[in-house]
Amino acid sequence: MRRYVFGRLGQVILTLLIYVTLVYFLMQAMPGDITMMYLSNPKIPQAAREELRKQLGLDQSLFMQYFSYMKNFFRGELGVSFSQYPKPVWDILMEKLPRTFVLFLTANVLSFYIGFVLGKVIAWRRGRAIDYAATVVGITFWTAFYPLLALVVIWLFAYNLKWLPLNQFIDPRLWSTAPFTANQVFGNMVSGAAIVAIGIFLISYYLLRGLKPSRRSRVYAWSLAAALVAAVLVIAARKGMLIYIWDITRHMILPVLTLTLINFAGTMLLMRDSMLETVQEDYVLAARAKGLPDHVVRDRYAARTALLPTVTSLVLSLASSMSGGMVTETMFSWPGLGQTLFTAALSNDYPLATGALAFTGIFLLIAHFIADILYAVLDPRITYTGQSDV
Amino acid sequence: MDTLLRLEDLTMHYKTKAGWVQAIDGVSFSLDKGQSLGLVGESGCGKTSIAMSIMRLLPYNAQLVKGRILFGGRNLYALSDEEVRQLRWKEVAMIFQAAMNSLNPVYSVGNQIIEAIVTHEPETGEDEARERVESLFELVGIPKERMDHYPHEYSGGMKQRAVIAMALACNPSLIIADEPTTALDVIVQDKILREIEDIRRKINMSMIYISHDVSVIAEVSDVVGVMYAGKLLELGPADDVFKRPKNPYTYSLMHAYPSILGEKHDLVTIPGEPPNLLDPPTGCRFHPRCDWATKECGETAPLWREITEGHYLACHNPIRTKQGKSCKQQKTAKGGDVIDTSDGN
Repeated sequence: MRRYVFGRLGQVILTLLIYVTLVYFLMQAMPGDITMMYLSNPKIPQAAREELRKQLGLDQSLFMQYFSYMKNFFRGELGVSFSQYPKPVWDILMEKLPRTFVLFLTANVLSFYIGFVLGKVIAWRRGRAIDYAATVVGITFWTAFYPLLALVVIWLFAYNLKWLPLNQFIDPRLWSTAPFTANQVFGNMVSGAAIVAIGIFLISYYLLRGLKPSRRSRVYAWSLAAALVAAVLVIAARKGMLIYIWDITRHMILPVLTLTLINFAGTMLLMRDSMLETVQEDYVLAARAKGLPDHVVRDRYAARTALLPTVTSLVLSLASSMSGGMVTETMFSWPGLGQTLFTAALSNDYPLATGALAFTGIFLLIAHFIADILYAVLDPRITYTGQSDV
Repeated sequence: MDTLLRLEDLTMHYKTKAGWVQAIDGVSFSLDKGQSLGLVGESGCGKTSIAMSIMRLLPYNAQLVKGRILFGGRNLYALSDEEVRQLRWKEVAMIFQAAMNSLNPVYSVGNQIIEAIVTHEPETGEDEARERVESLFELVGIPKERMDHYPHEYSGGMKQRAVIAMALACNPSLIIADEPTTALDVIVQDKILREIEDIRRKINMSMIYISHDVSVIAEVSDVVGVMYAGKLLELGPADDVFKRPKNPYTYSLMHAYPSILGEKHDLVTIPGEPPNLLDPPTGCRFHPRCDWATKECGETAPLWREITEGHYLACHNPIRTKQGKSCKQQKTAKGGDVIDTSDGN
């Protein structure tokens, strides 16, 4: 297993190298450079433009530029943004990345969970009304034109009902007097959520082990989890951050809702198909013969084995929505990686655009890597002995 | 002896697009406590359907047309789903046709057996259940360290043993073994059958063996039932049925196998193929393929009757003793196939 992991990591790095090279030349293939933006500005003469080009290193040959970029890339230096000169690309990306990551992670996990549960239920009750209803609704959203759906959602919940903010990451009026920056609060939010997630995982791992956890340990587990959530909230409140956290959360709801609506059907239908096969397996019949309650047969037997192929879809959709996030972030004016990439590309800001795309690629590669490891965890039949394809 | 299981005129049909498949038709038998019954017949004759009817695990398109199943005096089809669920495994367990696939691939084998125990005996703790599984593994001959291994780490024979251990987990009063050893080679098959028989006798459990293989049934059953096209044709003490078969189908089935130790005899094949159960033949369902068939056989279905103590038969024209010899000429005369074993077949 360890050999496999290291071998796989080597592959990841090699793929990344090729990917960044491709991205780099793709960016360079775009016509013009940053100084073209000043062409129509009479205050900047040709000589000043040349000076600017020289300063940014654009006068060197393409390959020289490439080699110095790659050298710096693997040292963690992504250069300086042209359009936000002299801000380093790394700083810009580190500011935007968590926002994108949290938004899409939330949306993907939510839509995966909804899709998984619905798919499980409709496969178990195939041919009944709920099967048709969920399939029709799911397909409708799945095939909807995404920007249009986003507009409809905004129109309904933000404009018409006025329940939620239209777009943006925060409400500027509220934050003008805030003692924190948005990034501080967001960072705290993310670490708080991470603590709760890890805590709940550990609690369920240690207390709800075994086939039939006792009633006492279940009560114990629930109260511990509740206490953990309460503790995190109290800490946030004492820091005076609660209202700002709520503001960011409110701004996240609509994009998450839209992404979930459009994505859940994919997982649902995959899960349904996968489970329609597993319900015919002999071990499902054997489980019923064993006199196990219906929901146990469904969850522990039919759904558990049907889960494996759908995990692939979770990981891949997570990775691809990072790059496809451009549309979402533009529709909802969400200041994340997608939006950064979009504006950087428009303004010929090569270092920023290349950096943003490179990070999308890193995400994708990490996601695949995690998926491979996850298979082995979920399916005991898969073992990586490290012999082949490493 | 106490009757444990009684099937009374059980008739069960499957609804398909083409019509009703008459999978089980008027099957009656009873099984005493501690007795083992073997059901033998060709593929698709309704053996597994009977097993599934007893477990009440029939597919959604199955319909009980008439008759009933009494288990320990209780009508199985009058019970609620929940009552049946509690009855399963606790009272009637099963060894499945495809033992290889009847274990969940993503849980360890031990846990799957523990699960059955703690489901049916909630007062049993997990550690206690674990100890029981250890002794079950010992009983069926699997090293107990293998408990925490996954099914794919087991060999075919070990999976089969594990499935047997699982069937024994809740000390049921009846185990239905549906082709328990079909997937195994003959030597392992024999060993496992003997082991099951030993255990069964030790704890005085009832058993229904289902197989298309006459030799398997002959080895382990006290009582043998011969099925054909959804009907029971003959049922009686194993010795009686195998030594003095009364129904021509039983006779043909017996002689379709070569005997290694017994006398050399001609192998008999049964001409034709089993009927389509959507539209079974009138009268006796076996009559189109039967050498003894008379006009009556095609017109009225033979009655299920007791001919001697415990020996039941449905046939208009049963084979009388010593008639077996003359069968050869009769069959050849009618164009049936007779294969001489001395030719190397």
